[in-house]
Amino acid sequence: MTAAVGPTCALPDTPLAAAVPGIMTCVHCGFCLQACPTYLALGDENDSPRGRILLMRSLVEGTLGIDDPDVHTHIDQCLGCRGCETACPSGVPYGHLLEATRATIALARPLPLVARLILRTFERPHLLAAMLAGARLLRATRLPRLLGRLPGRLGFAMAMLAATEGRVPHRPYTRRGTGARGATAVLRGCVMRGLYAETNRATERTLRANDYEVVDVAGQQCCGALHAHAGDLEGARRLARVNIAAFERSALSFIAVNAAGCGAMMKEYGHLLASDPLWAERAAAVSAKVRDATELLADAGPARGASLPLAITYDAPCHLLHAQRLVRPPLAVLGAIPDLEIVPLTDTDQCCGAAGIYNLLEPEVSGLVLTPKLANISATGAELVATGNPGCQMQIGAGMLRTRTGRGTVHPIDLLDASYSRAERSPT
Amino acid sequence: MAMAALPISEAASVALSPALERAASRLASIVGPRAILSRPSELVTYSADGLPFYRKRPALAVFPETREQLIAVVRALAEERVPFVPRGAGTGLSGGALAENDAVVIGLNRLRRIISIDPENRRAVVEPGAVNAGLTRAASEYGLHYAPDPSSQTACTIGGNVAENAGGPHCLKYGVTLNHVIALTVILPDGELVSLGSTEGERDGYDLLGAFVGSEGCFGVAVDVTVRLVKNPESVRTLLADYTAIVDAARAVSAIIASGVVPAAMEMMDGPTIRAVEASIYAAGYPVDADAVLLVELDGLAAGLEEDVALVERLCREAGARSVRVARDEAERARLWQGRKKAFGAMGRISPDLVVQDAVVPRTRLPDVLAEIHRIAQETGVLVCNVFHAGDGNLHPNIAYDARNPEATARVHHAMRAIMNACIAAGGTITGEHGVGLDKLDYMPLVFTDDTLDAMCRLRDVFDPERRANPGKVVPVRSCREWRMAPNTRRGELPA
Repeated sequence: MTAAVGPTCALPDTPLAAAVPGIMTCVHCGFCLQACPTYLALGDENDSPRGRILLMRSLVEGTLGIDDPDVHTHIDQCLGCRGCETACPSGVPYGHLLEATRATIALARPLPLVARLILRTFERPHLLAAMLAGARLLRATRLPRLLGRLPGRLGFAMAMLAATEGRVPHRPYTRRGTGARGATAVLRGCVMRGLYAETNRATERTLRANDYEVVDVAGQQCCGALHAHAGDLEGARRLARVNIAAFERSALSFIAVNAAGCGAMMKEYGHLLASDPLWAERAAAVSAKVRDATELLADAGPARGASLPLAITYDAPCHLLHAQRLVRPPLAVLGAIPDLEIVPLTDTDQCCGAAGIYNLLEPEVSGLVLTPKLANISATGAELVATGNPGCQMQIGAGMLRTRTGRGTVHPIDLLDASYSRAERSPT
Repeated sequence: MAMAALPISEAASVALSPALERAASRLASIVGPRAILSRPSELVTYSADGLPFYRKRPALAVFPETREQLIAVVRALAEERVPFVPRGAGTGLSGGALAENDAVVIGLNRLRRIISIDPENRRAVVEPGAVNAGLTRAASEYGLHYAPDPSSQTACTIGGNVAENAGGPHCLKYGVTLNHVIALTVILPDGELVSLGSTEGERDGYDLLGAFVGSEGCFGVAVDVTVRLVKNPESVRTLLADYTAIVDAARAVSAIIASGVVPAAMEMMDGPTIRAVEASIYAAGYPVDADAVLLVELDGLAAGLEEDVALVERLCREAGARSVRVARDEAERARLWQGRKKAFGAMGRISPDLVVQDAVVPRTRLPDVLAEIHRIAQETGVLVCNVFHAGDGNLHPNIAYDARNPEATARVHHAMRAIMNACIAAGGTITGEHGVGLDKLDYMPLVFTDDTLDAMCRLRDVFDPERRANPGKVVPVRSCREWRMAPNTRRGELPA
């Protein structure tokens, strides 16, 4: 481009200034367009990776101001699914560019109130625990199932809560391996611990059954992914330091994460704290131990369970497929379940529209992105959708509830756990 | 080469002319307020296509979602006499989809439906914004595909392909877009809806469809496109030959063509290109120490194919190949092709900015021309990455550079011009498939006489006498004689 970035950046000493080399990697080829869910939903290149990178470049060049409302709109409307990264031949680090842009915009314009409330709550463990306990109580009344059919944001939120109800029975079993694969801590998570506690138990059981030694690590907090994606990089760093300190206290081989978004964040702690001399090395050391729980299970085989004659489909969470670049492990987990039929899902590489708290902040676009996902799910005829991220489970589950499609969502590990449980009860 | 537009900030937000003001409100009432962009900050994205060396900001961008809206938009613009530029996915590489600030971009990307697939007659009807690879995906359930496969096929649109008469690797055997478009419904710039070509077989008379395909948006806007679908070959073999000297690879190309074998595709990539691709997520397992690789695909009936494979392999080795490998399975074949097709996009790893050229030379001159390109690169001190359709002699020299360095930029443009001159001197021409657009306007007088350029202007007048459709592209305005005499004349006022 001839509209050259001069020797000085229009936004010196901002997160965006540090992202300039990444911005300059884009050659504007457009190969990302069809990989972008918001471009497909909205049909405007301003809502495509290439268009957003050009907006970022314009900010750096000073041809658009950091207070430009159009820039805010299109950067806000990005899901951060990073589907463009697995389409980009030049390797543009889009996720980092987006976080840097949002962090820079946040200097000029505070985050929306809803976002701030959610992020601050996730930073306060007691408050968060109380909120999630309240949510569990509400879920137990089964009211969210009914209220989830109401139109609008409240109805959708209720449907999301209803979607967290367990879809497969979890019966504890005693099967255990040797523990020889190493000491492994399971990230408790926020939503996972609060609303998907059974999946956390299932993760521990299946890891044990596959020769991992599961240890409990105290002092964990939210991983900070929601903060980083919203542009609150300082908030994300605060939480990262707490978690790094907590996981450092145990001699661990692995940190198993069963929420794809959290795993992607923790694998990037090294990048997040790269310019913090006190923490950079420690962050990189912790990041190096982080694995998606299905990675660990797949590395171990995993051991086969008992027959589970169900027809399901699998949807790849973006932060597993695009951010962590993991394709095979979740399928290996499902593949260890005899008689489980996995019906291929069209466009499984496209985002479902959950994207952390995006579905609460941008409900309209989120809904547009969810619509084709639900149509593709419906076309499989499968009753259950397996996907390894709580946000996707809730988003897709809510959509299924509201459109009366199938029975809902499960984590792939829920199914493996049920299969192991059956094996112990009725040995085949 | 024409100089680029000013940086956006200097092209300050201009007030719309009264005609544009009227057009804007009429367009908004046709497509709805959310399908029209008028604020400068939202038009930045529409100021560049796949060759972002050029930036020109349009006055407005409008996105019709239905056929009726598209027709109404063009008619409203005709009544207000406002120029317009049709745009598909903006993956073009000649600046062809750029609009000056008195023109309206008509974004066709929302008109993306595949209207029908007729497997019995092997045809499909699509809207102009349908994505090339999406059509092949939809046709695959019938064992069919859409043959022209530009490297940008995962993003580019059929309408854009029609405008540029797009090619692609497999056009060596199957022909370019022109050979695959059967009929078109076109809205002419004056608002008249016409049918070109016929689904009922050849019609008598002049081939107006042939004139429209490749007209680069200067003759009107396709409303729907009827294309031919091709049966998937029974058998496919893909070979990768590895060379330590690019001229040896070029000699292999001529030897294969001379043998009478017609490969489905025959592509070449040089060392710098190979290394950029191998560093990307599309790494295909090309040898990173090679000076060039040749990717040859043979397809057709299974019977006899292995003999052709053996012959091509032998010819590749005789020309000096270090190794020749045949893809073992479909996955390996797909990987080899992905690497080739994404090579252009991978250049961003080398330097922030990129210019790509598109020239055709006689196949037998490839060794000389490649040597000359190498010499020019050395002399000007620029890095040229060659990735191209060797079987057609269609070269794509890419030069990666940093536009923030004006001295380097000047050398790049000097090198580009020298390369184009070398191609023309070798008996070649200035575009194989990217079109003339803005980028090659200045080269047109080098390959065409004034009389020929004038004839092109007169052909254009048949479709667009007011020259409102993609103004300022393809034929240099100064070449049109009557235009030169009276630059603002309108229809009916042309000098005798």
